[in-house]
Amino acid sequence: MQINQAIITAAGKSQSHLPLQTVVDRSGEVRTALDLLLDEVTGAGIDEVAIIIRPGEEDRYRQSLNGATPKLTFFEQHDPRGYGDALLRARDFCNGDAFLHMVSDHSYVSKTHKSCAAQLVDVARREECSVSAVQPTRENQLAFFGVIGGRPVPRATCLYEVNLFLEKPTPTVAEQSLIVAGQRAGHYLCLFGLHVLTPTIFELLEKTVQQLKPGEHANLTTSLNHLAQTERFLATELQGVRYNIGEKYGLLIAQLAIALSGEDRDRVLTELLELLAKN
Amino acid sequence: MLVKNSTVGSTTQRTPLIDIICSDDPAVRNLSLDEHCAALSREQLLAACAELDLFRRECHNLYQRVRALFFLYAIHRFHLPRQLQGRECGVIPFGGYENLLARRFSEAISEFLAEQVRSGPSITLSSALATAYHRLAFQTLADQVRKSVRTVKGNQWMFRTGHPEDLPLRIRPDLLVIDGNGQYPVLCERTSVRMDFSHSGWSDIFFLGMDFPEGARVINASINLAVKGRHSRPEPPIETALRVIDEPVLRLTSIDLDVTADVRSMSEVYDFARDYLGLLKAAVIASGLVPPGMEGCDLGIEAVLTKLVGPGRGLEIVSRVNDIPKGSRLAVSTNLLGSLIAICMRATGQVSQLTGALTEDDRRIVAARAILGEWLGGSGGGWQDSGGVWPGIKLITGSIANEDDPEFGVSRGRLLPRHHVYSGDEITPAARQLLQDSLVLVHGGMAQNVGPILEMVTEKYLLRCGDEWRARHDALQVLDEIATALKAGDIERVGKLTHRNFAEPLQKIIPWCSNRYTESLIEQCQSRYADDFWGFWMLGGMAGGGMGFLFAPARKVEASDWLEQTMLLTKRELENSLPFAMDPVVYEFAINDAGTTAELKNDKSMPRGYYELVVPALLRQDIQSLSPARRRELERVGQLCRDNEPANNELAERLLDRILPGIAKKQAEIAVTVESLLAENGFDRIAHAHIREDLLGGRLGLSQNRLPATAKIEDVSADDIVDARFTPPKGLVKTAEDALAKGQVAVLTLAAGVGSRWTQGAGVVKALHPFCKMAGRHRTFLDVHLAKSRRIGEMYGKYPTHIVTTGYMTDAPIRAAVNAIEYPGSVIVSRGKSVGLRMIPTARDLRFAWEEMPQQLLDEQQEKMRQSVRAALLGWARTAGECNDYVDNLPMQCLHPVGHWYEVPNLMRNGVLQKLLQDQPGLRYLLLHNVDTLGAAIDPHVLALHMTSGACLSLEVITRRIEDRGGGLARVDGRVRLVEGLAMPNEEDEFKLSFYNSMTTWIDIDRLLEVFGLSRGMLDQQDVVDEAIRRLGRRLPTYITLKDVKKRWGNGQEDTFPVSQFEKLWGDMTAVPEVDCQFIAVSTLRGQQLKEQAQLDGWLRDGSAAEIEKLCRW
Repeated sequence: MQINQAIITAAGKSQSHLPLQTVVDRSGEVRTALDLLLDEVTGAGIDEVAIIIRPGEEDRYRQSLNGATPKLTFFEQHDPRGYGDALLRARDFCNGDAFLHMVSDHSYVSKTHKSCAAQLVDVARREECSVSAVQPTRENQLAFFGVIGGRPVPRATCLYEVNLFLEKPTPTVAEQSLIVAGQRAGHYLCLFGLHVLTPTIFELLEKTVQQLKPGEHANLTTSLNHLAQTERFLATELQGVRYNIGEKYGLLIAQLAIALSGEDRDRVLTELLELLAKN
Repeated sequence: MLVKNSTVGSTTQRTPLIDIICSDDPAVRNLSLDEHCAALSREQLLAACAELDLFRRECHNLYQRVRALFFLYAIHRFHLPRQLQGRECGVIPFGGYENLLARRFSEAISEFLAEQVRSGPSITLSSALATAYHRLAFQTLADQVRKSVRTVKGNQWMFRTGHPEDLPLRIRPDLLVIDGNGQYPVLCERTSVRMDFSHSGWSDIFFLGMDFPEGARVINASINLAVKGRHSRPEPPIETALRVIDEPVLRLTSIDLDVTADVRSMSEVYDFARDYLGLLKAAVIASGLVPPGMEGCDLGIEAVLTKLVGPGRGLEIVSRVNDIPKGSRLAVSTNLLGSLIAICMRATGQVSQLTGALTEDDRRIVAARAILGEWLGGSGGGWQDSGGVWPGIKLITGSIANEDDPEFGVSRGRLLPRHHVYSGDEITPAARQLLQDSLVLVHGGMAQNVGPILEMVTEKYLLRCGDEWRARHDALQVLDEIATALKAGDIERVGKLTHRNFAEPLQKIIPWCSNRYTESLIEQCQSRYADDFWGFWMLGGMAGGGMGFLFAPARKVEASDWLEQTMLLTKRELENSLPFAMDPVVYEFAINDAGTTAELKNDKSMPRGYYELVVPALLRQDIQSLSPARRRELERVGQLCRDNEPANNELAERLLDRILPGIAKKQAEIAVTVESLLAENGFDRIAHAHIREDLLGGRLGLSQNRLPATAKIEDVSADDIVDARFTPPKGLVKTAEDALAKGQVAVLTLAAGVGSRWTQGAGVVKALHPFCKMAGRHRTFLDVHLAKSRRIGEMYGKYPTHIVTTGYMTDAPIRAAVNAIEYPGSVIVSRGKSVGLRMIPTARDLRFAWEEMPQQLLDEQQEKMRQSVRAALLGWARTAGECNDYVDNLPMQCLHPVGHWYEVPNLMRNGVLQKLLQDQPGLRYLLLHNVDTLGAAIDPHVLALHMTSGACLSLEVITRRIEDRGGGLARVDGRVRLVEGLAMPNEEDEFKLSFYNSMTTWIDIDRLLEVFGLSRGMLDQQDVVDEAIRRLGRRLPTYITLKDVKKRWGNGQEDTFPVSQFEKLWGDMTAVPEVDCQFIAVSTLRGQQLKEQAQLDGWLRDGSAAEIEKLCRW
């Protein structure tokens, strides 16, 4: 399976500033969240990236970049009609190949030498199908994520056959249709914000967008669900953690996680302890 | 059969009873226990019990364990006692009894069995074992059903969510769209109720559906209702509303129960009995808004609301039931719960549809939550009860549990059944219309507790009692035929089938589901409409409340009017005998083809009746203290009242009625009536004042009822009693037979009380309750007593005079009944001349009754409810004023009889005895008995024992069984006497006593007069008689008791209040030194009393009813 392109969506109303937030990376360098995402992409061996942005944002994005970056193409989302519509704008960019998709309001911390995106792309290349990264998440967080339902792939570790995607389900709904064998009670496999998708997704998204009534928006989860009904779709748990930098204290927690996994771990820990002792 | 017994781990002979329990072959599994045990000897039964007990301890399969427990219960209750003649007396270990009360049933059983090993089997011990096995079986069942409810997918998370920070629900954004007036939209849900064609012999009991899914089948229809003469057209009778408000409170309002409250703390949400909002609170919890896992989280409700609806906001939930009275048998409360849960789940996105009808998956999760809500509220319905949430007519069936179900491996069936909604092709619109054109749906006015019936059904199912098991299959056949008739559009046939269902299988399984009222209505319908009366239709658990009568469509309208009148007239005839909660009503109905539906009301209007309830309270507040939204809502209501729209004029009128109610006049009327009743019935105001003073001063009270702690209570020895349980010597009986032939004996039936326990304080005349069918028709207690005297009269040629004592409440109805009964002898009514006025109890006595006196611990949820009710009652007692007169009820319910001791002196005081002795100078003996001692009859053997002893009083005692609480025969400080349970200085003392007081007393009239200091000739001297009675009365203790009294209000609603009253009791005559007493041990059959209707089934099944019938001539 050819995976040479990546698409990052950053056109959401409250999202456009998020990738431009600065954090200190594992090596102690000050960088933007977007830089870190691009590191993920290049770590996966991909050197062409499309970023979907709000109109007029391209300059800000370009100015925020530091050092070597992959080849970037910006797509402006005029007349926005939702997340699914944003992704659809980069259809031609992918040349009919499978692609890596990342959301711009997440930050990833890998627990191995391989980036999270690289781990995912490896699985997709091996299995030759769409794969979404997932993370077991407590039910009280369901209101913030898309969730998969399915079953473990026999004789494979952390790999699941997906038969259902639901966006932000209530635990009542989740318990009835999204329980995956092997998970702890009250835990569900929530989307990680990283997907490798086959080009079929664009056909499904296009159909969805065409059927939209005025004022309606296309989300991605519905089309992912259709894709799972159409062809083989897997989900995998990665050796890493995602942090939603768009929620309250999200950036702070992401920063702490990055710092605690990097060179300044002892210093940050010491500062934290001191902070705790003083308050 | 040799099988490997996996639980014991050895190869053993599996006994036939265990084979019945474990077999996969229905032919073996469905064998009847009774038929199997009929031929077994005592030793074989005891051996079977030992094996069953071992099996139930080691068996891992819940349903096999439960069946073994019921087998053990039935053997100890029905089979062993027949084989234990001569081994009646035994001792019940007090420790075992304490364990029983504390719901430690297994420990109780172990103690009783240890005693059985020590002292051998006895009827007494078997009664204790039967009770313990029975309760353990039901506890095991209830625990399992509750566990299943918790493990239903979609319910589990609520038990894991323990803190508001964990709450995963959020209000749907649609409900947060605020308008220019600061008002949020109102989500309104309208729900129908369910009407069942057949429940196949109560097969909708959860346990039956889970154990016998093949036999769990119900057809029911969702219907809209209108009360004839009150509403214009049928509408969904349940309406609920939900909206966001601008105050951080949970505002709950029940329009029909006339109550609203702002809940501010989490603990209030779980306090169900604090007010009438228990059902709304259960819905809030079961829908996950405040999940059950948060119970005990000591925070304000604001913490939850902040998560759910946002900071500074709250939720308001309103319910309204459209004037449908309680006891309608249409599952109104379950469907109301379903409606409330549905609206809460819609609002938080837990079901897919915000408005419109629900999908099948949504309905199933709502039904599962409704079951959870019922459990939380300490009640329980059947699995078909949420039927109003579904549309149209449907077949609901149990389903076999498969691997994906949490029930798999535990029970054969699933907790939730399958619903098949009949399409228009299956049951045509024409057939549905014909059903509506022929069925007259009514509420007969009776509101009864169906709980005991459901327990009986479960028990009989598990024991596979032969007749009942066949009837269950018959009921299944009837259901199939009803479905066929509906599909064929043959509604006349439906009527015939529902009629047969009621007359045959249902009454075969549970005879108590019918009553004289219902049967009288059916007879009148048959007589008036002949072939145009298509049949009777029992709704729900029992007849008397919600019922249906099918007529040819051409006559339906006329029949509906006629039935309304006929029900009212029949009710008037029987209202003293049966517990009616209200006047009967006739409904108009229509099948609801939508099920529960919701709409988002952008006009922000709340359900009818809401403003009348809340506006008066708002007007009493400072306008500045109201939230902006409430101020604007008041302005809006003001504007509506000023409009000239007819609907708004009506609102203005109703509002005015609420603001200026006419209550003062009504209270005055009640006070006058109580006063006049007291004056009529010989109320002693001075004595009443003394009792109040003593109560307030702590000189009287429940704790003061007891004998001094130093009193020595011992069991009697064999020499202290005369045994009448064996064949008398020849010649002894002859004396008595001669006395009977000479008319020396009369019967005195005590019927002055109303039998509070019999109808839980409903205030009907127990003597006139048509409690059981004998010789083909319902008979009252009085019927049975007179039938026994009739038989004696036929045998000895002289019909004994029968005296029935009455009180202020029972006198007129009993006189009317006596006049209507044909009895060849003389029947005299002796009216009581003493009455008391009930008082608000003291908090001290309430606490003593609840904390110091032994009582059955209830299961977890019911116990919580009870504690909550008790807290509310303590508050009521303090607010209403301890020891104040209790006058806030119907006048008759405010008075009380003053104890059965007075009933004999009353004969002297009211001239009955004097006249009787003048008319029958040869009369020498009276047989006094309680109205509920059905076996008490003139027995020449016992009479002879009394006559030959020369005693003043001969009191009959029976071997104690565990249910015989309330005193007994004891040696107290050396004197053999009866001791009331109230007077026992120590609970444990009662368990030393072998004999229980049946109250049946043989009286030597002349010797009794001597005790009073009187003679036959002095009975005409009223002053002397009065003084003699007063003198002896002063020597007897006065007991304070708490009685439950029902107060009815609204549409069949009832509240029960404990009230204080005093009594003097007949048994204390045995403590008077100059009364020469003899104690005669008689058979249990002769002395047992029927105190509660739940006893009836056992009484019928153990052969007691048949034996009583042998004593009667009708």
